[in-house]
Amino acid sequence: MKTKVLALLLVLLMLVPCVLAACGDKEGTNSTSSGATANESTGDSSDASSGATTDTSTETVTKDYDMPEQDESVLDEDWNKVIIGSTTDLSGDFRFPGYGGSSAVASDIDINNLTVGYSTMEVDRYGAYQWNETAVASHTEEEDSDGNFVITVKINEGLKFSDGTEVKAVNYLAYVLAYSSPVVKANKHPAMAGNAFVGFNDFNNYSGEGSPAEVKDEDGNVVAHPCKEFKGIRLLGDYEFSITIAAPTYYPYYYADTYGAISPYPLDLIVGEGVEVKDDGNGAYLTDAWYAKADGSTDDALLWAKADLLKEARYDVSKYAFSGPYVISNWDSSTKEITLKVNKYYAGNWEGQKPPIGTIVYTKVVQETQMDAIKNGQVDIISGLTGGDVVNAAIDLAKTDGFSECHYDRAGYGKIQFDCDFSPAMFTEVRQAVSYLINKEEFASTFTGGYGAVVYGPYAVVMPQYKDVEQDLQIEPYDYSIANAKKVLEDGGWVYNSKGEAYAEGGTGVDSVRYKKLEGDEASEANIAFASVSNDDGITYKTVKVGDDYYMPLVLNWFGTDNNNVTDMLSAILVSGDGPKQIGMVVRSTTGDFDALTGQVYRDPDYGYADPPKYSMYNLATGWNSAIYDYAFNWRLDPAWFDNSVNKLYDEYDVAFPYDEHTGLTYEEAMEQSDGKLGMDYLSMAMVYSVEPGDTENYNKWWKAYIERWNYLEPDIPLYGNVYYDLYNSKIEHLQTSAYFGPASAVLYCTVKKPA
Amino acid sequence: MLLVFVILSMLLYLIYNLIPFNRANAIAEQYKAAYKNNPEGLEKLKLEKEIELGLKKYDENGEPQKVGIFMRYLGWLGLAPVNGQYNGILQGNFGISYQYNERPVLEVLAEPMQNTMFLNIFSVILALAVTIPLGIFCAVHRGSKRDSAIQVFTIVGYSIPFFIIAILFIWLFASTLGWFPVSGMKTPGSDYTGMQKFLDQLYYMALPLIVMTFGSLGGMTRYVRASMTEALTMDCVRTARAKGVKEKVVVYSHAWRNALIPVITLVIGWFISIFAGSIMLENIFGLNGMGKILIQSLTANDLDMVLCLELFYASIGLLGNLIVDIAYGIADPRIRVNK
Repeated sequence: MKTKVLALLLVLLMLVPCVLAACGDKEGTNSTSSGATANESTGDSSDASSGATTDTSTETVTKDYDMPEQDESVLDEDWNKVIIGSTTDLSGDFRFPGYGGSSAVASDIDINNLTVGYSTMEVDRYGAYQWNETAVASHTEEEDSDGNFVITVKINEGLKFSDGTEVKAVNYLAYVLAYSSPVVKANKHPAMAGNAFVGFNDFNNYSGEGSPAEVKDEDGNVVAHPCKEFKGIRLLGDYEFSITIAAPTYYPYYYADTYGAISPYPLDLIVGEGVEVKDDGNGAYLTDAWYAKADGSTDDALLWAKADLLKEARYDVSKYAFSGPYVISNWDSSTKEITLKVNKYYAGNWEGQKPPIGTIVYTKVVQETQMDAIKNGQVDIISGLTGGDVVNAAIDLAKTDGFSECHYDRAGYGKIQFDCDFSPAMFTEVRQAVSYLINKEEFASTFTGGYGAVVYGPYAVVMPQYKDVEQDLQIEPYDYSIANAKKVLEDGGWVYNSKGEAYAEGGTGVDSVRYKKLEGDEASEANIAFASVSNDDGITYKTVKVGDDYYMPLVLNWFGTDNNNVTDMLSAILVSGDGPKQIGMVVRSTTGDFDALTGQVYRDPDYGYADPPKYSMYNLATGWNSAIYDYAFNWRLDPAWFDNSVNKLYDEYDVAFPYDEHTGLTYEEAMEQSDGKLGMDYLSMAMVYSVEPGDTENYNKWWKAYIERWNYLEPDIPLYGNVYYDLYNSKIEHLQTSAYFGPASAVLYCTVKKPA
Repeated sequence: MLLVFVILSMLLYLIYNLIPFNRANAIAEQYKAAYKNNPEGLEKLKLEKEIELGLKKYDENGEPQKVGIFMRYLGWLGLAPVNGQYNGILQGNFGISYQYNERPVLEVLAEPMQNTMFLNIFSVILALAVTIPLGIFCAVHRGSKRDSAIQVFTIVGYSIPFFIIAILFIWLFASTLGWFPVSGMKTPGSDYTGMQKFLDQLYYMALPLIVMTFGSLGGMTRYVRASMTEALTMDCVRTARAKGVKEKVVVYSHAWRNALIPVITLVIGWFISIFAGSIMLENIFGLNGMGKILIQSLTANDLDMVLCLELFYASIGLLGNLIVDIAYGIADPRIRVNK
């Protein structure tokens, strides 16, 4: 009896988690219907927001967001505080997130954005760069006699850092100069801050007095004449400076003006004591103390006296002043929490907005329990919620008193990516056929729990470019269609079996798939060696030789990341699903970790890749953190770029009409001369290098053509784009986030309701 | 012990270097955008980083050559020069954590180690304070209703994994009852000092602490009970009882001393574990501890960090064995090493 009671108790206790899990499932089931509703309302966020009209100094712009005023009298009140929860750990790299590289932690960038201000250009909520009228009194853009692009900036007088010292032109130039010099390499910075400016190489190779007169490469060619002055940067007065963007490498370039986006920093933070920024008429420079050597320095191994300053400056949180809306009041590296207090000297952002909230706390939340954290009042905002169950829970909470939500489309998407230089994936018709096999609407809906959308090209629906040309964009959605998949394959020559005879449906073994006769260069080494991998069913498909001809089987070797829902869903469709069988195709699946996947994508032996290439299909995701859209050099046919390119796509149009031989043409001229056949390389290069900054009309023409060509070639298949939800305590007013404008940016426009 | 350490270090270094990963590539890739129109420059940067990291070196003809794994191992230990300098573990350089902003590994570990120790010390003391008396009580009252009830309780605690207990407790005590915060290590935005700070920290640590203690109760209680039960059947205990020695003295002086040997192994193991973080627990409660660092470093191929942690745990393990051996001798004079 005793044993039975014990056993019963045990079973009951073991059942508790199961019951809890079952409760969770119940909620998940409910999400389907409410999810659909929410999805329909995705585009309503802007309509729902209250419109406001604000005058700027130059023109009247209708804004679809509020700009509450700062009330200085309540900045220090305890209640005027917002706690932002982030699932990403802060790392402490707030001054220079990523330190010149692309690996910056998103939460560190948030803190940087809140503490650095007065940049000459700032990114608005739509991802576009805007000249900062608060900081910049005037600016001019012109070409010099050498064709370089000169941006001259005059900043407003009276701007102040958080310690009350004035912001001057030298504060803007110090960072670009210092972080273009070899001294910063002492702290592993790449010293590339000013690489787009005239004279960079000479300045970058100057290591102080005694620098060699010239620097040569391995072939003996002179690559630089080390020079103290940075010719492309001029200090023109206390409040005026200019930068010169080098032609032809960096100009003409549609986004050339964004090179003018420079932030001011306290001089002592950047160059320390004893160093000045000067200009004697030949370019700005840092005085000799910057280049002082440390003990033990030799000509072969330079050691810099400023190395300690650089280390200290990178992680400084309190010693040096800030220029942004907030200053760091407390950084607790142990709990990964930061407290920011309003910078009372801050004059406003690009449109003059000053922060009405006195204190911002940025703290870590756990993804799985963040909903409870906001419910319990531990945090006031959580962001980037996605997935059916989570979003449903967020919406349910937002329906209750005390909580609200805002949502937006993600600037990015999940995708299938192809290597287009070998295997069946090198043929457009095969990539199109795969696209036809996937019901993308259903895929996106299932994966995102109903809170997602599909895009049909390399864009996000929030992009201004897309919005501009949306009506005229002619793209093929590749809706699910077995018949269309078969047709494109047959048109593409996939009409054989392994014996070189006509393909017949219902074949078995190696003849269950279609074959294509390889013509000319198609019979490459990699294609001749091509064979299926992960042959769990015991059948190995490989390129066969029949007579003098090679026939390649319609097999895709796919490498996916493990423990990934997308991999599982794609596997159900493409590996075990019926679609591929119906069109005479086989997809072989291999999974591994992300490093192994990138090793295959970039064919890097250090990551386990071995020749010849085996995989030509991957599942990944991509995204944009601003509206800058620049895919130049991604589609170059030159091996130096091609071998490292993502898709390794060889567009025949680029062979017939190469960009390098037809540069400088307008869109209409290029279309006419190429007979309307512009390739991916041409379009991506011309989109940014044949258009003047600000010429959006012409840029959009190229962009549209690029998207349409891409959509035809399908080097990737976009699968889903999430709708992200941000949930917040209703005490916060006016919060409006977007894909490019997270809570840490949006709080600048928010107020906190004073408690009753 | 030293030999075991050296062999372990070599094995660890070799195993982790088998992972297909190139740090130089990973660093260079971060600057890809800056070199988008200069792929040769990116290759040059990659090579520079490989030289800097000691993965390659120039031969007498000025050609870059790969450095063999054994030489890299010696360089890591500090027994061979890397770029002309002996700068390895023996010189106090445990490497750079690339995941944590290229900061020295030891610097990165300082705070998580403190957090982990703070949590574990309380947990171990609490667990021992409960389990040892409970185990003894159960052994002494073996077969009683109270013993049976505790057996049910402990077997449940022993059977359910830590993370399930954590999830259940969060649901119950944090989400439903709201007694404790769901995650974190302090009240967000608080700037407490002194005792107030300590109490706030304890409040935030309470739930993880309860979970850890609850999860440990089953095993230790049952272990002590079993050990004590066996000791209570020994001849010396029977003799002591026959001589009319007080029951308290019999239990705590005669039986408990004999039951200590197996318990010591576990108890010392527990104290050693105060340095080790719990991967599951720290992630569930959002704690910045050693377990979280280890799992994040493994995921990010932060090899210097992983190697440092593994070596640290290996050293602690070796040291633990030594302490256990010494403790055996103290607890039982029969085990002392003869001179």
